[in-house]
Amino acid sequence: MDTKTTVLNILQDLTGEDLSSALDTDLFATALLDSMDTVQLLLELQDQLGISVPVSEFDRNEWNTPNKIIAKASAAQ
Amino acid sequence: MINLQPYADPQYFIYLLVALIPLMVGLWHGHRLKVYEVLVSLSFIVLMFTGEKWHQGVALIGYLIWQVVVIFAYAHYRKAHNQTSWFVIAVLASIFPLVIVKLTPVFSVTPSLLGFLGISYLTFKAVQIIMELRDGTIKALRVWPVIRFMCFMPTISSGPIDRFRRFEQDVEGAPERDQYLDMLNRAVKYLFLGFLYKYVLGYLFGTVWLPQLAHFALRIGGFSWSLVGYMYDYSMYLFFDFAGYSLFAVAISLIMGIDTPMNFNKPFAAPNIKEFWNRWHMSLSFWFRDFVFMRTTFFIMKHKLIKNRIRVSQVAYLINFLVMGFWHGVTWYYIVYGLFHAAAIIINDIWLRFKKKHRQSMPHNRFTQALAIFITFNVVCFSFLIFSGFLDTLFFK
Amino acid sequence: MKKRLWMIFGPVILACVLVLGVLLVPLPQGHLNQKTLREASVSMAPNILLGQRIKDQALKSDYVPFIGSSELSRMDAFHPSVLAAKYDRPYRPFLLGAPGTQSLTHYLDNQSWIRQYRGKKVVFIISLQWFTPKGVNPGAFQYFYSPLQAIQFLQHADSHDAADRYAAKRLLKLSPAKAHSDIREGLLDIAAGVKLGQGLNTRLAIHETLLRNEDSLFSRFTVGNHYARIQKGMAQLPEHATAAQLDALAGKIGAKATTNNHFGIENHFFSQRLGGNKLAKMRGKQATFDYRRSPEYGDFQLLLDQFAKNHIQVQFVIPPINAKWAQYTHLSQPMITTTTNKIKRQLADQGFSHVLDLTKAGRQPYFMQDTIHLGWRGWVAVDQVVDPFLTQQQAPDHYHIQPYFFSKGWANAQ
Repeated sequence: MDTKTTVLNILQDLTGEDLSSALDTDLFATALLDSMDTVQLLLELQDQLGISVPVSEFDRNEWNTPNKIIAKASAAQ
Repeated sequence: MINLQPYADPQYFIYLLVALIPLMVGLWHGHRLKVYEVLVSLSFIVLMFTGEKWHQGVALIGYLIWQVVVIFAYAHYRKAHNQTSWFVIAVLASIFPLVIVKLTPVFSVTPSLLGFLGISYLTFKAVQIIMELRDGTIKALRVWPVIRFMCFMPTISSGPIDRFRRFEQDVEGAPERDQYLDMLNRAVKYLFLGFLYKYVLGYLFGTVWLPQLAHFALRIGGFSWSLVGYMYDYSMYLFFDFAGYSLFAVAISLIMGIDTPMNFNKPFAAPNIKEFWNRWHMSLSFWFRDFVFMRTTFFIMKHKLIKNRIRVSQVAYLINFLVMGFWHGVTWYYIVYGLFHAAAIIINDIWLRFKKKHRQSMPHNRFTQALAIFITFNVVCFSFLIFSGFLDTLFFK
Repeated sequence: MKKRLWMIFGPVILACVLVLGVLLVPLPQGHLNQKTLREASVSMAPNILLGQRIKDQALKSDYVPFIGSSELSRMDAFHPSVLAAKYDRPYRPFLLGAPGTQSLTHYLDNQSWIRQYRGKKVVFIISLQWFTPKGVNPGAFQYFYSPLQAIQFLQHADSHDAADRYAAKRLLKLSPAKAHSDIREGLLDIAAGVKLGQGLNTRLAIHETLLRNEDSLFSRFTVGNHYARIQKGMAQLPEHATAAQLDALAGKIGAKATTNNHFGIENHFFSQRLGGNKLAKMRGKQATFDYRRSPEYGDFQLLLDQFAKNHIQVQFVIPPINAKWAQYTHLSQPMITTTTNKIKRQLADQGFSHVLDLTKAGRQPYFMQDTIHLGWRGWVAVDQVVDPFLTQQQAPDHYHIQPYFFSKGWANAQ
């Protein structure tokens, strides 16, 4: 499974929605994600992809769409 | 010796703006006059602590030395090691002076000698640096930038609370001329909006009406319509006074070419408590979100202390708002205020989950939207009544 | 680019010029009309008390300061303001005071008018309740604190004068934390016996102009208009009446207004303030009240010193306490007698000879409107002394102020 599918799967678990066709949705503005989900997202990324992102690295403006998250995850790998 | 409290009277703005003119000319030409900036900032900080307040100035200097020692000791340690225990010790050492200052009123009538105007806000900044050192997002650190960040003059006494890395980016360079003009434009708008908020509306709610409502409520005693009036009036006063103050701080920062984050975004139009905290005293609530709430949940989930995800968030909210309550001061009403908001946001979360599940059958229109705003507003106003400490005077004094 | 700069800062510069213009140019102090003065004279509003312009003008005409506190607001048909208007006396009371005003507040307030009022007459109602062990409540003092009057105090203060130094110390202790740093600096200087520097004097003068302009622009907007109550009172009075007839009418009106309790307390006051279980809670509650030792004695001395310096003739009134009420709350009668004697001694020793002591009248029916405030027949009794005092020529007073009365020794003496 590639990074993109993994990220989208995690996001689907968290938001309850399939975001593969809405890759530029602002997840915070639409209230699909909250801080709690964010923490879970970071933990899942660590578990499933082995990348560790510290909480203070997480800037909402840089992590607010599926595309941005995928890019961040790929870059960290 | 003349003493100037930040944004306290109209003269302050005149002195400050005149002092900032050379800096503005510099920025207009794309240069930051760093030495002059330091001199102006230093003079205005010194003038905050002249006369009877000199001992606060001494406390500030002592405090800065303490924080620099703690931060750099930890930074040095962090280069080679990363044990949780030392991180915890560093954080505790950093908040130690604030804890002393906040606990002193419980035991003594005279305030602590360690206290000075702005100690809370400086502590937020110091703790933030330690947390980021732990995370490795801040690596190299020099003494001067740390002091410059902590003592940034427009925000030293009451925020907004900026972030170190963001601040460094602004302060190291100078904005483009176009960009700087936009900043000045915003600065002027914020200044005048601030005048309206703090000196007109804040004055009406806080100085003209509040004492009268308090007087009547105390005379009647117990529950009264005056008390209800006090609740709403105090909430308005709290908002206009603090939002006005924050606007001044942001405006002066912008004039100095620093884009300090905003503190308020129409908080009373929030449709739920969660959203309210995204709009009220934002730099503080985001600080708590990033450094208390998210870290607590991260810690609990990583170590699987609590299995149920919902339970995790509830515990984290409780801790988050309790800490915030204690930070305001160790009195029953601040702590109850914290617990009240924790309860409100937990109930709010339950409702949001319920709504998500029954999305199809749930009406959503202008009326439900207005109802949501109305309920949120009243819950918030009630929490401010607790916060005001007026109930303490009313019931126990 | 330059144009945008103008678009941003043009309005700012314009705003600054306009505001400074309005506040720093000495504005012409045009005449206020009689209606404004009449309403202000009974408004007891803070902006009148703390201000300048209205009092300036009123006291130049036939208004006489009636200094006191909450009793001034008992505006029944026999209130001094009603009697003066109804019977067209040559004077009209200008009420200075409100619930919570005590000696120090009046001392500061008097700064705004007393020097222009030299050699004239004043009526002063002293409340025994001011003389509590801790003296004036800082909150109440700060509510009535006026920076303008504090500056006026500083501008006339003499750093070698015992009274001024005492006042500066008291003001420093009680003035709000937010008081302007220049004012605090001035108070510190006077308290320490140092003359104010030239720079500070200039800053205070600019500040004074600013505050005066603010006052003359806004003070006419009074909060609360009580004049309707004065007119209502006037309507209840006959066209002509002797003192005895007034006293009889006062008894009749008082009887009608005090029917729901056996204390002789006005009905509305009783049901509002003592209704429900509030009354029961008050039984025996005042047994420990003590007015004999208080910093208020020193603050009161400030006023005496001020009156003496400005050759003001003063009619003092010491109102009684409702005797039935005092009995119910166990307020000590010997303590009241000692307090009254102490105040009277402070007055007599320094040559203040016009003192109306009513403290023995608390048992007379319809004399008090409620617990501690004069009403109906009480006001008539006051009028019988105050009216001749104000309308007839009085022999000149010979004051001899004694600094001892500022001392802790006197404050704590019995």
